[in-house]
Amino acid sequence: MYTPLRIDPNKAVGDIAAFQRKLATGMGYLRTMREPEYANTPRELVYSEDKLKVWHFKGHGTPTSKTPLLIVYALVNTVWMTDLQADRSMVRNLLEQGEDVYLIDWGYPDGADRWLTLDDYINGYLDRCVDAVRQRHDLEAINLLGICQGGAFSLCYTALQPDKVRNLITMVTPVDFHTKDNMLSQWCRHMDVDLFVDTMGNIPAGLMNYVYLTLKPIRLNQQKYIGMVEILDNPVELENFLRMERWIFDSPDQAGEAFRQFIKDFYQGNKLLKGTLQIGDRPVDLGMVTQPVLNIFAEQDHLVPPDASRALGKRVGTTDYTELAFRGGHIGIYVSGRAQREVPPAIHQWLRARS
Amino acid sequence: MQGILHEELSVSDPSSDFMKDYQTLARQSWEAFTRQLQPPAATNPFAPPAFAGSGNDTLERTLSGLKGYFDWMQGVAAGSSGTPAPAADWQQQLRQLFAGATPSFTQAFAGIDTAGAEGFAQQWQSWMQAAQRSGLGDVPATQGPMPAFGLNREQQMQQQAMSVAVFESLQASARYQALIQRANAQGMERLQDKLAEHAEPGRQVDSLKALYDLWVDSAEEAYAEIALSDEFCEAYGEMVNTQMRVRQLQQQQTEQICQQLGVPTRKEVSSLGERLQALRREFRSGRTTSSDSHADEVMALRHELAALKRQMAAGPAATPAAKSSAPAKPSRSTSAARKAATKAVRKTSVPKNTAAAKPSRAPVRKSAAGKVATKVVRKTRASKTKPGPIATPRPSLRKRK
Repeated sequence: MYTPLRIDPNKAVGDIAAFQRKLATGMGYLRTMREPEYANTPRELVYSEDKLKVWHFKGHGTPTSKTPLLIVYALVNTVWMTDLQADRSMVRNLLEQGEDVYLIDWGYPDGADRWLTLDDYINGYLDRCVDAVRQRHDLEAINLLGICQGGAFSLCYTALQPDKVRNLITMVTPVDFHTKDNMLSQWCRHMDVDLFVDTMGNIPAGLMNYVYLTLKPIRLNQQKYIGMVEILDNPVELENFLRMERWIFDSPDQAGEAFRQFIKDFYQGNKLLKGTLQIGDRPVDLGMVTQPVLNIFAEQDHLVPPDASRALGKRVGTTDYTELAFRGGHIGIYVSGRAQREVPPAIHQWLRARS
Repeated sequence: MQGILHEELSVSDPSSDFMKDYQTLARQSWEAFTRQLQPPAATNPFAPPAFAGSGNDTLERTLSGLKGYFDWMQGVAAGSSGTPAPAADWQQQLRQLFAGATPSFTQAFAGIDTAGAEGFAQQWQSWMQAAQRSGLGDVPATQGPMPAFGLNREQQMQQQAMSVAVFESLQASARYQALIQRANAQGMERLQDKLAEHAEPGRQVDSLKALYDLWVDSAEEAYAEIALSDEFCEAYGEMVNTQMRVRQLQQQQTEQICQQLGVPTRKEVSSLGERLQALRREFRSGRTTSSDSHADEVMALRHELAALKRQMAAGPAATPAAKSSAPAKPSRSTSAARKAATKAVRKTSVPKNTAAAKPSRAPVRKSAAGKVATKVVRKTRASKTKPGPIATPRPSLRKRK
């Protein structure tokens, strides 16, 4: 039997020296680098209210799709994951497919937004954004693409306003919040959310990010940056890395009341799945979602486990329900090379078949 | 940082020339690296001094994880004798390799130094110092609340409540930390198990990076298992709840001091914000209801106008004839218009200060811009659609049957 460890000290020292050289040289690059920009696909502001903005993206050609697609992103993190960089932009790829793309940018809540409720977000903001797009196109109903928490919002909205949604796409959207592999859900099960929000007010983005990092503490706090050293001498890859860092950590605070309701009703109560959810004073019944539904989830998602998304299939009222399983993680589904090739074309084809 | 490096650099065989050379190399390399962290010399002698929170301090904090990795690599390299250990000794060797570096890795679990995750013990200490300076008195014992009396009874009780809350919080934090340590220990056990699978020629771990990656996999697996356990979830909830309780009591004390000083407090601002948001909801609801009502009126009047135009277009003879004849049954649209107009008149005649004049709080489905949302019944549309296949080769599409 052999020893499994066969580390040659000379080689080890060589590895350390190489690591340090890379680090020292790379820091020179790092100091000169500017904040990386997002893709910034050309866009036009078509609606705004408080801190919210609705953007209409401009592609190279005229959209072939007759029904616009409104992207509803989560409140956590910024919406620019959908338009991260030129060669990794879901928005840009959807435009190239011929979709007419709109996006809700929720903005950065501050103390003035402390009392915004889910009712304000879904029956208020989201409804008015949908109306703004409908009005621009003189349409009774538009297509919705809800992402993560935005997917849960879109499901609620579609159940409440079925006449305004023609087709619904959900991406990495949690529906069953009580799957055993959902770490976030397990952690907040014993939290006194009322005490938490009453004390904190708005929930700071830094605290949210801290919690996300502790889902995989060593991988996300250390191993990732050791990997970064390997690319410090590669300006393109380094810029991509820093852009992602910007997106991860430049994130908005959470409006206190909406956070309270989301944790209590969705994470703790699992009310969306149980059919006991109320937004404002109106019950949310997923059975009311009779539109065609495309449910896209990531098989290696550590934030929204696949089973949490798959649960939608048994709850929606539609007879036209399709699942798309993507081989990747919660972020890779937007920015990986494979995602660019697979996800936007799949969305477009699914929509085109239902136009 | 260099100082720390020297202190932590523990080499098992200092007499070895090889390791001396290595030490020199390591020191020089790290110094070169840290030089890069220094802010550039100001070319303008009148330039203001650098902001304390910027420059190398920020980068050093950011890269503290790299320092841990660097220290570990040094430890492993120093602990590698150059002679492959006998098969029976490799576990001992592994323990030695990680023994010196383990604290660095433990920190990776809980060492994120952000405002949101500020070390609670430090926060408590700083708070108590501030509380004492601001005249809140000595900290009472932590055994539990004792009876208090006199003019300062309330303050004494609050202080005791704070003390108990902090004690409970520290206990909860210790319980959480114990679980983290357990994850760390189990990570090492898993690493041994994983390494045992590599005890064959061709599969042996022969680089620091490979060993490190294997350790990360092991530690994350162990952590995930513990983090999903009921015990951890209870400890996590307790830690959060007890910390919030302390924060809440801190806020209450701060509020009292601010009130005495005439300083507006967060509670007051928050209360104003709540009222403002409630007013905004009512205003928007009222505006939407009002615009709906106006839209109904406009629509009804349009119908009436269209009916009149039709009458006019029917010719002059039609009008007198219509006058002389018995009144015709009004069309649905004209009738609706009159009803709406009457309704509008009734509405405007209601005094503004009555309850009826208040805007409805019922949810409204109409657009903010006042456009009437057309109701479309399309519930059966889904079953009529004939979806085409998606020609995406890789991802698996599953259509519900």
